[in-house]
Parts: sequence; C-alpha cells; structure tokens
Amino acid sequence: MLSVGQLKTHHSFSVEFVISRCFAGFSRETSLRLCRRARRGRNKKQGARRSNNSASQPSVMLSRLIVVSVNSLKGCGPIGAGLVHASRSLHTSPQSLAPLPPLPEKGGKVRHGIFPEELFQLLYPKTGVTGPYMLGTGLILYMLSKEIYVINHETFAAASIGTAIIYGVKKFGPTVANLADKINEEKVAKAQEVKDVAISSLTQAIDDEKKEQWRVEGRSMLFDAKRNNVAMLLETNYRERLHMVTNEVKRRLDYQIALQNLHHRLEQEHMINWVEKNVISSITPQQEKESIAKCITDLKVLAKATQARAAA
Amino acid sequence: MILSLFDQFMSPTLLGVPLIGLALTLPWVLFFQPGARWLNNRLMTLQAMFMNWFVKQIFQPMSLGGHKWAALLMSLMLFLITLNMLGLLPYTFTPTTQLSLNMAFAVPLWLATVIIGMRNQPTHALGHLLPEGTPTALIPVLIVIETISLFIRPLALGVRLTANLTAGHLLIQLIATAAFVLFPMMPSIAILTSILLFLLTLLEIAVAMIQAYVFVLLLSLYLQENV
Repeated sequence: MLSVGQLKTHHSFSVEFVISRCFAGFSRETSLRLCRRARRGRNKKQGARRSNNSASQPSVMLSRLIVVSVNSLKGCGPIGAGLVHASRSLHTSPQSLAPLPPLPEKGGKVRHGIFPEELFQLLYPKTGVTGPYMLGTGLILYMLSKEIYVINHETFAAASIGTAIIYGVKKFGPTVANLADKINEEKVAKAQEVKDVAISSLTQAIDDEKKEQWRVEGRSMLFDAKRNNVAMLLETNYRERLHMVTNEVKRRLDYQIALQNLHHRLEQEHMINWVEKNVISSITPQQEKESIAKCITDLKVLAKATQARAAA
Repeated sequence: MILSLFDQFMSPTLLGVPLIGLALTLPWVLFFQPGARWLNNRLMTLQAMFMNWFVKQIFQPMSLGGHKWAALLMSLMLFLITLNMLGLLPYTFTPTTQLSLNMAFAVPLWLATVIIGMRNQPTHALGHLLPEGTPTALIPVLIVIETISLFIRPLALGVRLTANLTAGHLLIQLIATAAFVLFPMMPSIAILTSILLFLLTLLEIAVAMIQAYVFVLLLSLYLQENV
C-alpha cells in the first residue's frame, strides 16, 4: 500500500496537485459538506494512522484525506488545523498564492513521447545509455512470455489506434502548438501594444514639454529683441520730432530774416525813389538844355573820332 | 468462460464495486482548470479556445433565454467527446455504449426543453406540430405524425449515440479478431485486414467526435425551438 508521502510523480502531473486543483474551485458549501464528512470519518482515519497499517481499513477512508484540498479545509475549525498539519508531507511548493511563480515554458522533457527524461537520468549512472531500453525490452518480454499480457485482438486494435495517434501527433503537433503559441503571443502583443502606445505618448508629451521649456528660455531673448525694437522706434521718433522742431524753428527764423530783408529793401527803394524824385525835380529846364547841347557836341566829337579811326 | 463479442459492453464491476462510476468521473482530471493566470500554457490555451469556439457555434442562433443552458451543453459536449475518444483506446470501457446512460442524458434534457416551451409559450410550441404550407386536407395526419416525431426525439437521441458507438466498437473488435486469427494462417490477408482496421479506427475517431457534437447540437436545436 503506497503511503501518502510517496505520491510524488513527475512534476507537471503530480496527482495531489491535479486533484487539489480540481477541488480548489469548490464553493464554500461543498467544502463544508466535505469537511463534515471528513469530521465523521476522523476517528476512523486517526485509528488508521495510529495503527500504521491501513490494510485493515478500506482504502476509501485514507483516500478522503488525500482528495480533500487543503484550501477548502482551512476554515473548518479545529479539524482544519489538524488536517493541514497532517497533510504537510504533501506540500511540495511554497504556499503563497502571490506573486504566482511563472509557469514553465515547456512541459517536462520526455523521450519517445511518454517516458520522462528523469527515468533515463536515474538509470544512467548504474546502467549507462542502454539501461532503460534494456529495462523496457525485458519488461515487455517478461510480460509476453509469462502471459501476463496476452496477445489477442485488442493488440491489433491497440496497434491501429496507436498508429493513428502517433501519426496525428507527429503531423499536427507542431501546427497546433504554433496555433496555441500564436494565440498567446497575440494576447501578449495586444497588452504590449497598449503599453507601448502609452509609453510613446508619454515620451512624446515629455519631449513636447521640454520643447516648451526651451521656448520659455528663449522668451527672454525675444523680450530683449522686442525691447530693442521699441527703443529704436522711440529713438527714431525722438529724432524725427527733433528734426521737425529744428525745421520749424528754422522756418520761423527764416521768416524773420526775410521780413528784415524786405524792410531793408523797401527802405532802400523808398530812399532811392525819393532821391531820384528830388534830383529830377531839381533839374531846371536851363540845365536840361545845356546838358543836351553838351551831349550833342560830345556825340559829334565821338563820331568824328570813329570816322577817323575807320578811315585809318 | 467463453467470451462473446458483446462482453466488452458489460458494465465492469470489481468485487461488487461498479467501476462505471470511476469510468464516468476519471475523465474529469483530464481537463485543466483555468488558474489564476492571465497567460496560460499551451494546453490551457487550446482548451479555452475550443470551449469558446464551441459555445459561440452552438449559441449564436439562440435567443437570450437559451443562453442559460451554455454551461450544461458545453460540459455535456466535453463529457461525451472525452468518453467517446477514451473508449477508442484498447482495454477501455466506453460508458456511452450503455443505452441507460444515453437515455439518462437524452430524456431529461429533451423533456426539459419541451416543458420550457409548453410553459412559456404554449401556442408557439404547439405550433411546431404543424409545418407551414401544408395542404388543408393533410393537417390532421400531419399533426399526428409530428407528435409522434416529437416523442421519438429522446429515443432517437439516445439510441443514435448508443448504436453508433456500439457498432463502431463491435466492428473494431470483429475486424481486429479477424486480423488476429488470420495472422498466423494467411499473413497477406491479415495485412489487408489490418489496413481495414486502421481505416476503421480513423472513422471511429471521427464518429466519436461527430456523435457527441450531433447529440449536443440536436439538443440545442430543440432548445431553440422552445425557449
């Protein structure tokens, strides 16, 4: 009779793991019902454990200990702690649920599809590479020769369904595995895409913010330039107004000068006219006749001089 | 004791313990529970994909009231497919070859659909007894015929599954026996028989899956009519 502690098999298919996972989804009511049944069978179970010989008890009693999950019994009062302690030999992994350890990428390594690699490693030190094959051959021949396994029509049926299964697995195995991987990859890719889009948008936001900060730094230069512009405008305006003022003042002064000149000229003309008027009025007719006669004699003299010169 | 060909269908017992209970419940361990993980391993992904696809297939044409049956029909489908496929392995017992099991599935489920139909929409359910466009003279005859066909449904469901699987297993056994017996005498004929056996096995794999699917599909159709 296998004792409870020897139930360890290949890690990905250990029986207690599978059964406890199967029953882990039980509701509270079901687990309480199981608990009550376990409590009723407790005395019998303790008797079985104490006597250390479970052959006297039917095997179904001990199997109840194995079958009921630890999780569903923890809340069962005084019995829970006792059972948890008793089944501690079944615990092969840390009990915490989070963070979950990562699932292994691939299943356990197997040779020829069914025999775990650990068997070959186990036998290698003692029997070398051919050990497990000799064991297999020996077992098969033993079972055939002692007629523990009888060849009958079922052997042929087994051969044919075995061929069908092996053919199916070999042909469609990689395709199906790739399909499963693709589904998982798509799931991861979708989540990754969300993450990537978020990251890229945030990076973009950071860059934009940095650009804005750079722009803000340049704003002082902008203000300086603007200030310079304004100063220049003011200066220009000032100069213009200065120029205008100068022009106006010059105009005013020119006017005054022109006025003075006008005065001067007017006075001069007036004086000349007065002098001329007086002189002309002072000329008597006697003087006039004398001056005219003098002019005529002068002219005759000049004409004679010119004739003489021309003739010469 | 002399084994007849039908002894493979005897419900197995060991020391008075009916092992059919074991045969019915052990396939449970073959299905993986979705754990607390977002990303699963390949088997879990494939199983989840299959279940999603199947439920969508069956329940897309169904109105909303029938969606309550999704868990029941999905688990029935998984159960039947597993039992059928496991039964193809040598030295296994297929519970679905027992008429009692198949009728135990077919009659209550079919009756449930009929009662649901009669309770919620009795006129509509009774209206199914007369197909559209029948000539007036044929109406009484047709109603009787349709009623008979309605009551034959559970029988048909159960017997279809039983007969297909039993016939398949029986044929496998017969042809395997023939190959086994011919093998020492006429090896070439035995090889032909083995080839026939192989093809039959392929057929049986297909039949196993198809029969389970048909069972569940027909139930979903009956539900669609009545929900």
